[in-house]
Amino acid sequence: MAVSRRKSKDMEEITSTEEEFHPKGTVLVLAIFVLVLILLWATVYLILLSRGMTTV
Amino acid sequence: MSEVPGDGSVQTSLHIDPYERNWMRLTVVLLVVFATAVTIAGFALGFQVPSPEERVDPNTVAIGDGPFGEPGLRAYPDGSYDLYVVAQMFSFAPNEVTISAGSEVTFYVTSVDVQHGFKIQNTNVNMQIVPGQVSKLTMTFDEPGTYDFICTEYCGSAHAQMYGTLTVEK
Amino acid sequence: MLTTPTYELTKSEKSFISQHLLFAFIALAIGSLFGPLQAFEFSGVDFYPLLEPVIQSYYQGLTLHGVLNALIFTTFFITGFLTLTTIYGLKRPLKYPLLNRIGFWTMVVGLLMAAVPILLNEASVLYTFYPPLQANVFFYFGLTLVVVGSWIEGYGFIFTWREWRKENPGVRTPLMTFGGLITMVMWQLATLGIAVEILTMLIPWALGLIDGADPQLARTYFWFTGHPLVYFWLLPAYVSWYAMLPKQAGGKLFSDSLARIAFWLFLLLSVPLGFHHQFVDPGVPAGWKYIHAILTYAVFFPSMITAFTVIASLERAGRKRGGKGWLGWIPKLPWNDPSVSAQLLAGILFFFGGIGGITNASYNINLVIHNTAWVSGHFHLTVASASALSFMGISYWLVPYLRGRRLWSRKWAQIQTWLWFVGMLIFSNAMHVLGLLGAPRRTPLGEAPYVPDEWSGHLLRTSIGGAILFVSAYMFVFNIARTWWSKKLLAGPDEEVEIPVAESVHPAQETPAKLDWWTPWLIGTVALILVAYGPQLIEQIGNIDLSSPGFRP
Ligand code: HEM
Ligand SMILES: [Cu+2]
Ligand SMILES: [Cu+2]
Repeated sequence: MAVSRRKSKDMEEITSTEEEFHPKGTVLVLAIFVLVLILLWATVYLILLSRGMTTV
Repeated sequence: MSEVPGDGSVQTSLHIDPYERNWMRLTVVLLVVFATAVTIAGFALGFQVPSPEERVDPNTVAIGDGPFGEPGLRAYPDGSYDLYVVAQMFSFAPNEVTISAGSEVTFYVTSVDVQHGFKIQNTNVNMQIVPGQVSKLTMTFDEPGTYDFICTEYCGSAHAQMYGTLTVEK
Repeated sequence: MLTTPTYELTKSEKSFISQHLLFAFIALAIGSLFGPLQAFEFSGVDFYPLLEPVIQSYYQGLTLHGVLNALIFTTFFITGFLTLTTIYGLKRPLKYPLLNRIGFWTMVVGLLMAAVPILLNEASVLYTFYPPLQANVFFYFGLTLVVVGSWIEGYGFIFTWREWRKENPGVRTPLMTFGGLITMVMWQLATLGIAVEILTMLIPWALGLIDGADPQLARTYFWFTGHPLVYFWLLPAYVSWYAMLPKQAGGKLFSDSLARIAFWLFLLLSVPLGFHHQFVDPGVPAGWKYIHAILTYAVFFPSMITAFTVIASLERAGRKRGGKGWLGWIPKLPWNDPSVSAQLLAGILFFFGGIGGITNASYNINLVIHNTAWVSGHFHLTVASASALSFMGISYWLVPYLRGRRLWSRKWAQIQTWLWFVGMLIFSNAMHVLGLLGAPRRTPLGEAPYVPDEWSGHLLRTSIGGAILFVSAYMFVFNIARTWWSKKLLAGPDEEVEIPVAESVHPAQETPAKLDWWTPWLIGTVALILVAYGPQLIEQIGNIDLSSPGFRP
């Protein structure tokens, strides 16, 4: 048990230095962006709804 | 540019980072949600955009016997109205209109010269006015008050002066 | 085969590219003069009477502003920059340098030909020149030549690439070249709309060969080109964000494959969605408007890929430079390099531009904002920021490189990028709010009788933002001019300016070969255009009614 755990930890270290890069900061930045996007888009959508129907 | 590039590659699998793959999925979901909301507003609730109504000759439309020969309100027994508006540099005819609250108005607008805009402030009535075409939208006015309708397309030097008012009485 | 020999641009190549930039910067300098005047007019400060001998109206100025900034500055900068990305990416000279020269001088002749009637107030029809407003015929000839010149330069890039392909079978086209080629091929297809509009309708009409124009059909032709025009502006900035900025930030491109997929999707989707500019037109069926709205949603997708890939590349760079935690990599980016800060700030402004864009595209939501100040607020975040501010950032290394001179002041450049950012936040926010309140665009609001008091605070903010932007624009122009004619030549190899070329995390050669294969994408692009535009074009051309005589504004 202990041996195998150590092994996997080693592997992690090797991979994490160069190849394994997790863009979690990017995810956070984009999450904020998506929230702002939804908020602002929905604001204008609600303005549309509040101003009454236009039919053809 | 049609040649298929020879495959001089070392390895040709498409790497997509799992985080980025999820981001792409989320984007699709987001767009589907927006599209659904817009579709519901448009086709279930009736928030619609103009569609072709009629072709006219801009040179004669306002002098003939047609409705634009005598622009203005037409009242119907059920309380609804048609409003025919002629746009020209730099005014609308008519430029003062009064209706009673709760009535449904169908706007028919055309131009006898250049392109104009027809936007009724604080409502969703907003149309491009193109010579040779009739722009049409229908809207019900429940709130009494004065609504400016303004020209929103550049039509020449005094474009900024071009507007009229629609009064909705109790 | 995978070794990358370095390529040093020859003196004449450098001067050819410089000539493009010179025209671009002069256009920006003159075009930007009017921005603040327009913005000041909004809050009642009217400078136009003072300009009377030269500029006779708000609209003559607005025509100059739109044409010079949005059409001339961009086109000259883009063709120049893409000449560089073609030559330097492929590491070979242009196949037919003379062809490209002919293209360039055709654009110059066109520019001058269009400039004369504008300056004589004979073409105050704004940069969209919607008939029945009519300009002096040389305005249309001039614009045609500018477009034709840009086509010819594009052919030059394509021939050069084909030659390179013969010499380098199986090698992935370098990303910067690839992005430039996509831009130019898309542009060839896209400009067919205004080419047909001008050649078959506006020129014969302005010459009196036909009595009238069909204004509705003209709008359809115009917006066939008008939407992809925005991608013509934007994709060269993406070329820099993908293929150069990661290197400038000290890192690598996060995904070469996805960068290419994004560019292919832009080729595929840029054109067949122009009706989203005609949502409230009377002569286009609502069903087609709806289809184009959905297609516009689709073209949002490659921009979202771009956002991820570019930001992840930056994050990786920032972490390499010691950034820790969720966001610690951001301050570690080389913000003190004005070329980097310009592009980062352009990217942040483009977030808001994208939000506005998806709102505009949303079919019935367009009723709220069509032809209001919102739209102007929107495209100052896109073309005047994502593109223009990025182009300024690129210029901060490109001009020293081409001219062999040190940038006159890095400090000024840094301040300039921040002023643009702050000025634009104020300006564009005010314009968006005004639009929601109902303020029309293309209107000297200072003299409009229907402006309520409620708008005045926002009108004032527009003016303040405009003033800051103006200072920024002129700090840029001044800095570039001082650099251009500076006596301080770059001294020795350690001062040498390097063209930033970003490697990608997985070498480009590992990108699937299919992503370098044009045929299926070109077929798909043409097919989609035919499906999305064919029926309406047949309908509208079939019912053409040339009954609108011209009106000289
Ligand atoms: C120097 C800073 C700038 C300021 C203060 C400024 C300000 C303005 C203002 C106030 C308007 C609105 C006019 C109206 O709707 O009546 C306008 C229009 C416009 N601006 Fe700018 N602008 C600037 C730079 C730019 C740049 C760099 C570009 C493009 C690269 C650009 C492209 C446009 C376009 C295309 C229009 C629309 C013209 C039309 O409606 O025909 N502007 N600008
Ligand atoms: Cu008007
Ligand atoms: Cu568009």
